[in-house]
Amino acid sequence: MAWEPILWVIFLVMTMVLVASNMYQLVCLSDLEADYMNPYETSSRVNAVIVPEMVLHGVFCFVLLVTGHWIMFLITLPIACYNMMLFMKRKHLIDVTEVFRSLNAEKKNRIAKLGFYVLLFALVIIRLVLSVMNHIIDEDDAVHESAMF
Amino acid sequence: MGTENTSSANTPPRPVATPFAAPQSTPFSSSRPVAGPVASAFRPTPALAPQTTMPLSSSGPVVGSEASGYRPTPPGRYSGPSVPPPPSLYGPPTGGPFQRFPTPQFPSTTQAPPRTLPVGQPVLPSHSAGQVSSMAASISPPPQIPSVPMGFPPQSISGVPSSVNAPPSSIESSFFSSRPNLQPSSPPMVPSYPAARGTFQPALPGYPGRQPNTESASFLAHQGGYEPPRAVSAPFVSHPGGYVPPPPLGAPQGFYPRGQMQPPGSAPPTGAVQGLIEDFSSLSFGSVPGSFDPGLDSKALPRPLEGDVEPSSFAEMYPMNCNARFLRLTTSAIPSSQSLVSRWHLPLGAVVCPLAEAPVGEEVPVVNFGTTGIIRCRRCRTYVNPYVTFTDGGRKWRCNICALLNDVSGDYFAHLDASGRRIDLDQRPELIKGSVEFIAPAEYMVRPPMPPVYFFLIDVSISAVRSGMLESSLTQPQMMVVSDLDDIFIPLPDDLLVNLSESRTVVDAFLESLPTMFQDNVNVESAFGPALKAAFMIVSQLGGKLLIFQNTLPSLGVGRLRLRGDDIRVYGTDKEHVLRIPEDPFYKQMAADFTKYQIAVNVYAFSDKYTDIASLGTLAKYTGGQVYYYPSFHSAIQKEKLRHELTRDLTRETAWEAVMRVRCGKGVRFTSYHGNFMLRSTDLLALPAVDCDKAYAMQLCLEDTLLTTQTVYFQVALLYPLIHGKSHLFERYTSSSGERRIRVHTAAAPVVTELGEMYRQADTGAIVSLFSRLAIEKSLSYKLEEARNSVQQRIVKALREYRNLYAVQHRVGSRMIFPESLRFFILYGLALCKSAPIRGGYADVQLDERCAAGYTMMALPVKRLLKLLYPNLMRIDECLLQTSLQADEFENVCKRLPLTAESLDSRGLYIYDDGFRFVIWFGRMLSPDIAKNLLGEDFATDYSRVTLSERDNDMSRKLMRILKKLRETDQSYYQLSHLVRQGEQPREGFFLLSNLVEDQTGGVNGYLEWILQIHRQIQQNA
Repeated sequence: MAWEPILWVIFLVMTMVLVASNMYQLVCLSDLEADYMNPYETSSRVNAVIVPEMVLHGVFCFVLLVTGHWIMFLITLPIACYNMMLFMKRKHLIDVTEVFRSLNAEKKNRIAKLGFYVLLFALVIIRLVLSVMNHIIDEDDAVHESAMF
Repeated sequence: MGTENTSSANTPPRPVATPFAAPQSTPFSSSRPVAGPVASAFRPTPALAPQTTMPLSSSGPVVGSEASGYRPTPPGRYSGPSVPPPPSLYGPPTGGPFQRFPTPQFPSTTQAPPRTLPVGQPVLPSHSAGQVSSMAASISPPPQIPSVPMGFPPQSISGVPSSVNAPPSSIESSFFSSRPNLQPSSPPMVPSYPAARGTFQPALPGYPGRQPNTESASFLAHQGGYEPPRAVSAPFVSHPGGYVPPPPLGAPQGFYPRGQMQPPGSAPPTGAVQGLIEDFSSLSFGSVPGSFDPGLDSKALPRPLEGDVEPSSFAEMYPMNCNARFLRLTTSAIPSSQSLVSRWHLPLGAVVCPLAEAPVGEEVPVVNFGTTGIIRCRRCRTYVNPYVTFTDGGRKWRCNICALLNDVSGDYFAHLDASGRRIDLDQRPELIKGSVEFIAPAEYMVRPPMPPVYFFLIDVSISAVRSGMLESSLTQPQMMVVSDLDDIFIPLPDDLLVNLSESRTVVDAFLESLPTMFQDNVNVESAFGPALKAAFMIVSQLGGKLLIFQNTLPSLGVGRLRLRGDDIRVYGTDKEHVLRIPEDPFYKQMAADFTKYQIAVNVYAFSDKYTDIASLGTLAKYTGGQVYYYPSFHSAIQKEKLRHELTRDLTRETAWEAVMRVRCGKGVRFTSYHGNFMLRSTDLLALPAVDCDKAYAMQLCLEDTLLTTQTVYFQVALLYPLIHGKSHLFERYTSSSGERRIRVHTAAAPVVTELGEMYRQADTGAIVSLFSRLAIEKSLSYKLEEARNSVQQRIVKALREYRNLYAVQHRVGSRMIFPESLRFFILYGLALCKSAPIRGGYADVQLDERCAAGYTMMALPVKRLLKLLYPNLMRIDECLLQTSLQADEFENVCKRLPLTAESLDSRGLYIYDDGFRFVIWFGRMLSPDIAKNLLGEDFATDYSRVTLSERDNDMSRKLMRILKKLRETDQSYYQLSHLVRQGEQPREGFFLLSNLVEDQTGGVNGYLEWILQIHRQIQQNA
């Protein structure tokens, strides 16, 4: 079976979800800033996706490690650690009472993360293409070899 | 003082001095004529000895400083033609000291000369003359005199190491040593003092607030009043009198614009206060190198004994601005560029108290636009205000905030007169008054006004029962103003809320049965969290006010809290601040939910044990509520206080479900808000309940690098349904009686391009208020020490910037200069660092008390905050003894004293009033009669068990009247009297000594050290 390409497809989906989650949070925060949304709604929406996102990232990171993709693992590790740290300090959620004070920081934080995930997304696509190519080439080779012998 | 010097005109009169100067030794002459003579003359006489010394040290300096001011003139600038005689006399001896001395002073004076001269000069000469003559007659200069030179103090002050340095120190020492002696003797003098005072005052008023003038003014008065009539000795007495009561004296200094105490007594100031020039005030430090003597008399330091003074220039400039009680800007000059903002180092912003109590006759006018609808700008939604301009024959109006041209609707149209003013201006309060209230149509409200709901959540665990907390709420029938009451243990929300007027009896009965119901309760647990949730469910339909009476640490169910704060080791580490923030996010979440449903939470905490106010207070902080803290509550003692404060809480004018927005002109923007509220959007404050005891602070910034407009406008709009004060508590509420109101305060402030102007227009009260909120917030995420350091650093930076502004052009030398408008700022900074929320460390203030004080200070209006930071200290025994005096007049007689232990005379009786409590301090040597009259038979026992109550004698009645009067001036809290006897530790330390902010306590700086420290830091990196 073509495990490698399938694995990369899964990674790709995960990254897309992460990107989407970040965009969603960013939109919520912008809405709050522009007064399209009240802080109660914003914080409940944003907080609802924060933990799943962290878990997803953790799983992503872990699977990379298990499947031996060292480089990719190292790339995603810092954010995983950062998330872990926030979680341990119980600062991962948005504080509804002080949203406005931390609004800018939260937004910057998410823009940075979004940038990172987009980059990751590009990497994953490249790896996916490469793995598919490799797979095809391998299969071709295998075909050739089998044909030859 | 500097100013006086400057006047060249002054010098001419000098000749007068010459006579006296001549006989005396040279050093003397060099020193100031005025003081010098006096001191020297007296010294010799044995009887006077103590007094004389005083004048010397204390008065000497004062006078001296002034004199010094002159002196220089001759040699330095004016020497030539104008002052022929003096030079010869003074010149030679003084020469050395002068030159250094004068320099600093001159610069300042140079600017002001014209004004000050006339006043100061004539005065002094005559003064000196009078004295001189007297001197001459009475005494010949004793041999010692030469060494005495009054001149010294000033010199040391100026900080110039003069050749004569040695003497000053001796003087000082003599001064201090003599002090003790003086005090006893002082009493007799006292009487004369007040009298003298009276005479002074009339003379003073005439003079403008400026220091220079005042001083000179005081002098004048002095002379006029005293000299002529009295014999030589008389003047003296008066002088000393000034000193004698150390307390009064301290006050005076040149600083006080009114110059109440100034005269003679003030002398001590020692020149401290110098040149006041137009631009700034300054303090000079003595600088005998290598010695620790600061050369600055602590009595000379500026103190806000007058209480808070609102800057008036602002109001004069824009008479249509709202009153300062509603809105105060930290500086009424808005900087025109970012670079100015960054050089201003102090917070730039405003303190708003939208519902401040207005005195009778100044109520906010109500405007009803009826069917026209409220006139607002189409674009920025600004309400019509006095600063909008009508154009186009009255058909259009231009918004002052966004400059948009709006159409004037037909109903509102009025013709313009020749000058462009509407002809109906007189009938339009909204166009002439800075504060108005609009009656709003229904679309301004999310929902019709709700009946005010009061929900009581009462802790009935055993400690509550024991403390008598339940009883106390019972003993107040008028307090049953509870409009709705309920028992959380009954799970049927619909039936739980009752209307007070309908079911008053039920409520009464319930309250009566409350103590008995739980008298056998031995449950020590408190299920606070679940109760809170239940309460939330019940009240969420209507909104209202939730009053929480908590006596123990919540220990059951959701939101239970741990005992924390006992661990000393946490203090001083990075985790320290965690103790001051809510432990469980549950409380923040609940607070947010409460605000969402328009419920305000007031927390009443009673325990002497740890109840985690940090967490409970969060509920109040984000719901516009308040934290009342009664440590170790016992109904017998604190019943009155609780009753008063609860009554006030329930009956004061309250705006429910209010929202507040502050708009400001283009180019500026409010960035952060500080106080008890929750932000609903970036600039909209949600206030489930707001009343006159709450103020909100905000900081602003410039949006662009440059402001192009000339004026910036601010408009505070508070939208709320009006429910009439007390009436709602007793009448059946109908929704029709609720009226929607919009209270609008408008103010304008000029844009300036100079930093100096910003400092000149600074408002110490607003700055301190904003500052303390920032410091308290900082203490929630950093160590206390860092919060204090940041306060200090900002003071240093601001003053350094100010110094740089003037250092070159005025050659300020080693003097410390600060703007006149910020003269008390340094002291308030110190007081802030010593205030309960951020002072000391673990042991200094209990964690709960610290947090409660923090929550309280976050909501206090400016005036009350300043009073809390620098409380009143008054001596009242004299007032009590004067039978003719009525309690009403007592405020005229009793002056505020500096907050230092030196103000306390062991033969006196003092009241310390910080707006939250009274501490009555009985001196050790207070006449037993007074104590006996006031306390009955208990006067000799332990004061912690004595309560003050009215006894059957005049003195006691008078005291009670005085207390009552003091309470009337500040009704938001009830000031409970704590009696303290001198030397009775630890009570004395706890109640009073640790609160004397000017003293050095527990290794923390006193006022003088604080100033020196700041001065040093300013110079370090200047």
